[in-house]
Amino acid sequence: MSIMQHNGGSVIAMVGKDCVAIASDLRLGVQSLSISSNFEKIFPVTERLYVGFPGLATDVTTLREVFRYRVNMYTIKEERAIEPTIFTQLVSSTLYERRFGPYFIEPVIAGLQKTPSGSYEPFIAATDLIGCINFAKDFVVAGTASEKLFGVAEGLWEPGLEPEDLFETISQTLMNAVDRDAFSGWGAIVHVITKDKVITRKLKGRMD
Amino acid sequence: MAATSAYNSPGFDFSNTYRNQFLADRGVPLPKATSTGTTIVGCLFKDGIVLGADTRATEGPIVADKNCEKIHFISDNIRCCGAGTAADTEFTTALISSNIEMHALTTGRKPRVVTAMTMLKQMLFRYQGNIGAALVLGGVDITGPQLFTIHPHGSTDKLPYVTMGSGSLAAMAIFESQWKPDMEREEALHLVTLAISAGIFNDLGSGSNVDACVITASGTEMLRNFVKPNERVEKERRYVFRRGTTAIKEEKVRRWVVDEEEVTPVGGEEMDTS
Amino acid sequence: MATAGGGAYSYSLTVFSPSGKLVQIEHALAAVSSGTTSLGIKASNGIVIATEKKTSSILIDDSVIEKVAVICPNIGIVYSGMGPDFRVLVSRARKSAQAYWKIHGEYPPTKVLTQELANVVQQATQSGGVRPYGVSLLVAGWDSHRGPTLYQVDPSGSFWAWKASAIGKNMVNAKTFLEKRYNDDISLEDAIHTALLTLKEGFEGQMTEKTIEIGVVTVPSQGELEAGKVEGTGRYKPTFRKLTEEEIRDYLAL
Repeated sequence: MSIMQHNGGSVIAMVGKDCVAIASDLRLGVQSLSISSNFEKIFPVTERLYVGFPGLATDVTTLREVFRYRVNMYTIKEERAIEPTIFTQLVSSTLYERRFGPYFIEPVIAGLQKTPSGSYEPFIAATDLIGCINFAKDFVVAGTASEKLFGVAEGLWEPGLEPEDLFETISQTLMNAVDRDAFSGWGAIVHVITKDKVITRKLKGRMD
Repeated sequence: MAATSAYNSPGFDFSNTYRNQFLADRGVPLPKATSTGTTIVGCLFKDGIVLGADTRATEGPIVADKNCEKIHFISDNIRCCGAGTAADTEFTTALISSNIEMHALTTGRKPRVVTAMTMLKQMLFRYQGNIGAALVLGGVDITGPQLFTIHPHGSTDKLPYVTMGSGSLAAMAIFESQWKPDMEREEALHLVTLAISAGIFNDLGSGSNVDACVITASGTEMLRNFVKPNERVEKERRYVFRRGTTAIKEEKVRRWVVDEEEVTPVGGEEMDTS
Repeated sequence: MATAGGGAYSYSLTVFSPSGKLVQIEHALAAVSSGTTSLGIKASNGIVIATEKKTSSILIDDSVIEKVAVICPNIGIVYSGMGPDFRVLVSRARKSAQAYWKIHGEYPPTKVLTQELANVVQQATQSGGVRPYGVSLLVAGWDSHRGPTLYQVDPSGSFWAWKASAIGKNMVNAKTFLEKRYNDDISLEDAIHTALLTLKEGFEGQMTEKTIEIGVVTVPSQGELEAGKVEGTGRYKPTFRKLTEEEIRDYLAL
């Protein structure tokens, strides 16, 4: 079994109309033994930017700290909040620095990007474990249930979903995909990011 | 210095290799990175170079990205198609692009394709094939149109038509049967489209759309998604769930104070052009 | 014991004098003050930086001399003082800009690059075996965060933002001249002319396209900003450029 499957867990992000959503399961396991049902893998970066780290749990914690440090340094040095596109580049270059000894993480990024006219634009991206960026216009997935997530999302996603509809679509995509993945599940969390608020919901799901 | 700088010194960081090697020795296979199965081609014609690429990125048998960009920017007059490990092609071309820009600033001259080719082959050779980038490099400089392939171990070829990646055989079949010297722009672009299409339809590692790039002495024309033979048909039904379908255990809403003030563009007023 | 100028504190090491001065830095400033005049003016829609490019002999091939340097597509710098020191700083600045690009996928904001340069300059005031840099710099650039900004960096490593500034031999007169001429809504075209007039004030000999250099920052229009990166390049349109000899000749003719 690959090290990516060791602790289990999956993350998905989707684009909606003037909003984005990012969701993950809450399981932490050691191979087939489940340990925790409140292991969060998605972290806020700025008010309107979230990042999810599915993969090896020890690297989830390490990278969370690495990026907290780097984002804080950026914010202090530049006297501005980091934008999603720049954060994605930062994630990518940080992971590629360890090209020959990688962290076992496949980050998923979701946020709202400020445009030159002052409005906000949905942004999602994912990278592989050595930092190759996948800019998608619809959805990105990662983790042990990624194959199932790809399939379900491909069927359910459609453009222009309002925040509440996006919530249902991403939740149903995640729940149905992780139900067929032994290594993901044990509850789920969804963040829907809009220009004036972030709605965080914990979902009721199978606990097996 | 490490404490004051947010970043480590340039170059790769090997500090995780001990741990990862330990895991590998214990029989845990190390995961695969995204690769671009890929069909990439380059073709010489009368006034310049046409580069072509498909837009599929794969992770094993999974299509990771249906519309990625494989024609990378090196300089205004040079572009580079990448096949192999996606992150390697991305970062290797970015590094060489950066070095080429520095070189152009210090010499005060337009960069040459051989310069980029030499930088790339020296870097790839230094890493003994461990950087998995197979490249097609093309451009027009003071010496005229130039087209090269660079293999992951650092060997290079200079040919009038080249293909690389898992779809290279399908694409080369097209070139071998149809390429001729001194083609017109339209002819060459059509031939490249055929070669990439051969890869898209006959090689499983390649797919989606045709990207092309025409470079001549007068400029570079990037034709992103030049042909889209695999567009997704619109869904006949909608699959939106009724609101409230998903059972929620708890909800937390964080509201931001949104500044509704009129924002003046950075840098003050727009220039008066009347 | 050394007796000239700063007495025992004037040689080699940058050491505080009992009065709290670093005499080596003051000497470095003296080197700047004897250098050719350079100036920068921030306009409402851009920035101009300009300098004299005078050679000591007509036998020198002045076509290869470069005093206004492009650092990255959005930043340029000019100097007064010692040419060789400037070249080293240009090289450091370009490397720093490229390193930033490799991490963030965009070029550094003017302030960040200026800070980086100022750090290099400051390090030379307290490192062993080195002397302070004998240059003052004017850094002009545009970025999406702060818009067009003009900074001056001194041999001590201190830096400030200016609306208009002058450095070098004629800086006192030039600054007085700029104070009289400057207003907040000056256009880039007017700023270029003001820059030429200011340079002319203390200019010895003929001012031609061969004897001055000019660099300009142009603020992108709202349309250009919204259009974003140039298709197929992954880069934005450059905002800093050097004026060609023809362009300078046209400005001088007006």
